[in-house]
Amino acid sequence: MSEFTEPYESKWQAFLLLLPTFIVLIAFLYYPGLETFRLSLSQTILLGSQKVFVGLENYVTLATSSEYHSSFAISVAFAAVVVIGTLAVSLFVSYLLFEVDVGSSTYLIAAIWPYALPTAVAASVLLFLLHPSLGIITYYLEQLTGTSLDWFTNGPQAFAVVAVVAIWKQLGYNIIFMVAALNNIPETLTESAEIDGVGHLKMLYRVYIPLMSPTLVFLVVMDTIYAFFSTFPLVDLMTSGGPSGATNLLIFKLYRDAFEFSSLGLASAESVVLFAIVAILMYVQLRLSESYAHYGG
Amino acid sequence: MSDITITGLTKRFDDVTAVDDIDLEVKNGEFLVLVGPSGCGKSTTLRMIAGLEDITSGDLHIGDRRVNDLEPKERSIAMVFQNYALYPHMTGAENMKFGMKSVSNYTSAEIDERVREAAEILDIEELLDRRPSELSGGERQRVAIGRALVREPDVFLLDEPLSNLDAKLRVQMRAELLQLHRELDATTLYVTHDQTEAMTLGDRVAVLNDGEIEQVDPPQLLYDYPATRFVAEFIGSPAMNILPVELVSDGSDISVHHEQFELPLPNADSFTAQPKSAFFGIRPEDISLARNVAGDVPTFEAEVTVTEPLGESLLIHCRVGDDEIHVKAAARSSIDPGDRLELGVDEERLHVFDGTGEAIYHSSPRGHASSDAVPTQPEP
Repeated sequence: MSEFTEPYESKWQAFLLLLPTFIVLIAFLYYPGLETFRLSLSQTILLGSQKVFVGLENYVTLATSSEYHSSFAISVAFAAVVVIGTLAVSLFVSYLLFEVDVGSSTYLIAAIWPYALPTAVAASVLLFLLHPSLGIITYYLEQLTGTSLDWFTNGPQAFAVVAVVAIWKQLGYNIIFMVAALNNIPETLTESAEIDGVGHLKMLYRVYIPLMSPTLVFLVVMDTIYAFFSTFPLVDLMTSGGPSGATNLLIFKLYRDAFEFSSLGLASAESVVLFAIVAILMYVQLRLSESYAHYGG
Repeated sequence: MSDITITGLTKRFDDVTAVDDIDLEVKNGEFLVLVGPSGCGKSTTLRMIAGLEDITSGDLHIGDRRVNDLEPKERSIAMVFQNYALYPHMTGAENMKFGMKSVSNYTSAEIDERVREAAEILDIEELLDRRPSELSGGERQRVAIGRALVREPDVFLLDEPLSNLDAKLRVQMRAELLQLHRELDATTLYVTHDQTEAMTLGDRVAVLNDGEIEQVDPPQLLYDYPATRFVAEFIGSPAMNILPVELVSDGSDISVHHEQFELPLPNADSFTAQPKSAFFGIRPEDISLARNVAGDVPTFEAEVTVTEPLGESLLIHCRVGDDEIHVKAAARSSIDPGDRLELGVDEERLHVFDGTGEAIYHSSPRGHASSDAVPTQPEP
């Protein structure tokens, strides 16, 4: 391009058009972010009506709290299970949807609808279906496996149940993107492989997954954010962090510290740490994927 | 190598018949081109042979085997696609090996050896380590052809392989394909919409229209003796002139009457049927300025509307009565729009088609050039 055309008559016009976005970002993101960081350096009583500056004391408390350590470990494990589980199941379902010839849109809708359900509603419904004594799914699972399931009192079981629900809830979102990515792969590649007699599995991991990799990287990032931040309603409604802290994810713990135990300063410090963890994870994921993902071209 | 025999092949999509009861034989080692306008069913035919499309009815034999119900991989075919269908994340060599490794009854050493041989034949050794994105269109197509070669299939199927290339490269690749075919002698079925490609490449050319085969013949016979009006207009560029005429018979002599001219037809005893109204066909290069025509050939007058210099010749658009005809004249002729020309025809190259489009007369009898001369004609 030899000429650069001014899209707007004046810089002020451009600024004016950007203003609403700036206002929203500043009011709801940057300002609260800064305020949270400031708050994390204080000790508060009565929901922040009185503040005392304490420096890094809140961070020191977190670093030495065994409860926080276990919540941290649980969150990381939970995120790992949810991200891997979601990707694996979504990939499997997407591939089936991609391969099926008849009624594919019906299947697609069936696979996507959980995503359209509000998380709180999904949690309530599944709480019923999976209830240790009333749940129909639990009943049949017990019949099938011959074990007794009681995730209200059994920590690992509670962790598994919340993880399964979190994965189930996130499938639709992943499937939409994966099916779109699969459908973007030129059909002649599939046909050429068919003539060569390349098996389905080999085709999936040697051709489809490499060609879908940009989408997969995007989904890893989105699923990580989801697992750390958006699973709050599930924990809140299904286990309240219990039994004995087995599902006490960081996002749930910081909510309780802030609004049940009124330690706004400590909760702010937890927010900052959580933000830092996810930001670092994101950075690592993106850097790692750069060498693997195939962005065409 | 094997031959391909197709009998009564039909493909219906819901209520659309894409391929309608066609018979075709590709002989062992033959290069047969399937040509036709878009939507004529040529690609569907090829895809049925490849096994990518189910066959609605009819029989398909490759060699002695009936392959209707065999999986594509069991048919011993290799296909080259218009968009190359190379795996973008693999290098040229990986692309060529990928299918081979899947078949798995080859050792790595054998595969490497075959890739090396194919690369040598196609002169693409230095491209093997590059990914498709680092290759030009022609190079990609060469790698794609290489991928077909390494499999040593009985039959090669090519689906418009040159259509994505620019004009100059297309001519070059055409020559290379011909040479490759001469070296390998492989049974090849080649689909294209480009009649020039069809004429230059094919040992024989099958013209397909509306899901039916109009004619199968060697290129020159196709050009000289079109079996139908469709073939006459499709093969050759610029297309054959077709004019509505009356056939008037005077004893054994028959002549065509147009509002602007009358022409006696030589060798009129070769007429098979004699409808009153018909279509008279003559190619642009078989009409010339009367002063250039030897002997006392009847001439007629036409008015020039447009002239198109083609470089090696001048294409003249003329009005003859209510009809338009194209005439090829010598390059640099001083002819301008508005001029009136006296034109004569080459009496050896006249064609007449009946109302259904079937050829009923060629002025030079279809000679000994083809012993299996009866052209394949569709049911009216």
